[in-house]
Amino acid sequence: MLKACVFATILCGFFGIIFKKNLVMKIISMDVMSTGVIAFYVLIASRNGLFTPIFSDVRNGNYADPVPQAVILTAIVIGFSIQALMLVGVMKLARDNPTLETNEIEKNNAP
Amino acid sequence: MITLTIAWIALPFFLGFVIYLLPKIDRYFSLGCAIASVSYALFLFTTPPLTLQLLDSFGVTLLVDPLSGFFILTNALVTAAVILYCWHRSKTAFFFMQIIILHGSVNAAFVCTDFISLYVALEVISIAAFLVIAYPRSDRSIWVGLRYLFTSNVAMLFYLVGAGLVYQANHSFAFIGLRGAPPEALALIFLGLLVKGGIFVSGLWLPLTHSESETPVSAMLSGVVVKAGVLPLVRCALLVEEVDPIIRLFGVGTALLGVGYAVFEKDTKRMLAFHTVSQLGFILAAPEVGGFYALTHGLVKSALFLIAGVLPSRNLKELQDQPIHTPIWIALAIASFSISGFPLLSGFGAKVLTMKSLLPWQVIGMNVAALGTAISFAKFIFLPYQKQEEQGKNLQPGFWAAITLLIGGLVLANVAYYEAYSIVNIVKPLATIGLGWLAYFLVFRHTIFKLPRLLEQFDHLIGMMSLILILLLWRVLI
Repeated sequence: MLKACVFATILCGFFGIIFKKNLVMKIISMDVMSTGVIAFYVLIASRNGLFTPIFSDVRNGNYADPVPQAVILTAIVIGFSIQALMLVGVMKLARDNPTLETNEIEKNNAP
Repeated sequence: MITLTIAWIALPFFLGFVIYLLPKIDRYFSLGCAIASVSYALFLFTTPPLTLQLLDSFGVTLLVDPLSGFFILTNALVTAAVILYCWHRSKTAFFFMQIIILHGSVNAAFVCTDFISLYVALEVISIAAFLVIAYPRSDRSIWVGLRYLFTSNVAMLFYLVGAGLVYQANHSFAFIGLRGAPPEALALIFLGLLVKGGIFVSGLWLPLTHSESETPVSAMLSGVVVKAGVLPLVRCALLVEEVDPIIRLFGVGTALLGVGYAVFEKDTKRMLAFHTVSQLGFILAAPEVGGFYALTHGLVKSALFLIAGVLPSRNLKELQDQPIHTPIWIALAIASFSISGFPLLSGFGAKVLTMKSLLPWQVIGMNVAALGTAISFAKFIFLPYQKQEEQGKNLQPGFWAAITLLIGGLVLANVAYYEAYSIVNIVKPLATIGLGWLAYFLVFRHTIFKLPRLLEQFDHLIGMMSLILILLLWRVLI
C-alpha cells in the first residue's frame, strides 16, 4: 500500500513535468518526483524495523537499515542544489520571457 | 598504488577550488592537472587491474583497469587540448575551475563500480556541465544548459529508483548486483545511463546542447562528458552477460539513428553532434573493445569541434562558396579521414577492431553506419580551400597547440592495435570510403531534404523517456 503511494507520487511528478507548461511548475513537479524517490529509499530502509540504529545497552532487534538513509541524504543535497541552480537560471530567463512557458522560451531560443 | 589513485581522484577537485582562490595561475594549474591524468592513465596500462573497496563493505568501490585507462586518457587529452585552446582567450578563472571540476567528476565516473558513487559523479557532471554551457550568460545558453540539466536530472531520478531496487535485492550497490535484481531495476538504471550518455532516441537532447555551446565546451562535452554515461553501460555488459545483447542492440540502433540524421544535416556543428550519437553506438556495439574506440572518437571529435569553431561559417552550403585557409583544411581533412576509418590514423584500427568483435546480426547495421560516416564526412573533405592570410592571422597559437596535441594523439594511438594493418583489413575501409564518396557526389551533395526537429523539443525529450523505459522493460522481460 505504502509502496503504491510512493510510486504514485513519482508518477504524479513525472506527469507534472510533461503536462505543466510553466517552467517553475515543471521544476516543482520535479521536486515532487524526487520526494517520491526519497520516500522510496526510506521505505526500503524500514523493511526490517523502525528503530533508529543507535549503539546502546538496550537492544531491540528491529533496527532500520541505515545504508539507504545515508545514501539518500546525499541525493537530497544534490537534488536541492540542482534545484537552486535551475531557479537561478529561471530568474535570468524570466527577464525576457515573463510567462516562462517552455514552448515560448524554446521558440525564442532555438536556432 | 591505492594512495596514488585516491590522490589522483581528489586532485582536480582540490585544484579547482585552489584556482578560485588564486585566479592568476588558473591556466597552469588546470593544465598541470590534465597532464597528471595523462601520466596516471599511461601508468594504468602497465599495471594489473586494481579493485578498491574504500571504507566498509557498504563503502565506495573503484576499479581501475586498462579499459578505464583508455577513457581516462581520452578525458585527460581532451581537457588538455581545451585548456590550450582557451589559453590566450579572455576566459575567467571560473571557466577553468569548472573545466577542471568537470574533468575530475568525469574521471570519478570512469573508475567507480557502484551505483551510488556513479550517481554522485554523474550529478556533479550535470552541474559542472551546466555551468560551462551557461558561461556566456546569454538567454540562449542558459536555456540550453537548463534543458540539459532538467533532462539529465529527471533521468537520474529514475536511475535512483533502479539503484534502490538493486539494493533491496542484494544489500549492495555494486554493478554486479544487476544480476540478482528484478528486471525493472535494470530498465530504470539503463534509462538513466542511456539519457546521460546520449544514446538512441533518449539522446536527442544532445545535438542542440552540443551545437549551441561555445566551441571549447562542445569539444569537451562531445569528446568526453557523454562517455561518462557510456562506460558504466559497457562495464555492466562485461560484468553481467545477460545484458550484453541489450547493450549491443542499442549500439546498433543509435549508430544508425545518429548517422541517419547526420547525412542530411547542413550545419557543421549539428552534424558533428549527431555524429557523436552515432559513434557512441560504435562503442556500445562491441563493448569488449569499446575503450580504444572511445579514445579515438574523443580525440577526433574534439579536434573537429575546435576546427568547426574557426571555419568562416557554420552552414555547409555557404562554406562551399567560401574557401577555407589551407592549413585549417588539412587539419579538417586529417580528422575527417580518421573518423571515416582511413588507414594510417587510429580511427582505422578502432573501426577494424570493432567490426571484428561484432556478432553476426550486427554486421549489416554497423557497415551501413560506417558508410554513412564516410558520406557525411565527405561534406568536410570536399570543401574548397586556398591560402588566406586573413583567416590565418585571426587564429591564436593555442588553437594549433590543441590541434597538434589531438591529431598527434590520433597518429600515436595507432601503436595500440598495429595488427590491424593487413591487406584485407585495409581494402574494406577504403571500399567503404569510396562508396561513401560516390554516394555523396551522386545523391547527398544536392539534397535539400531537412529532417524535422520535432523530437528534440523539450516536452518530447521527457516523454520519450517513458517510451524508452517501456522498450527497455520489454527487452529485459522477453
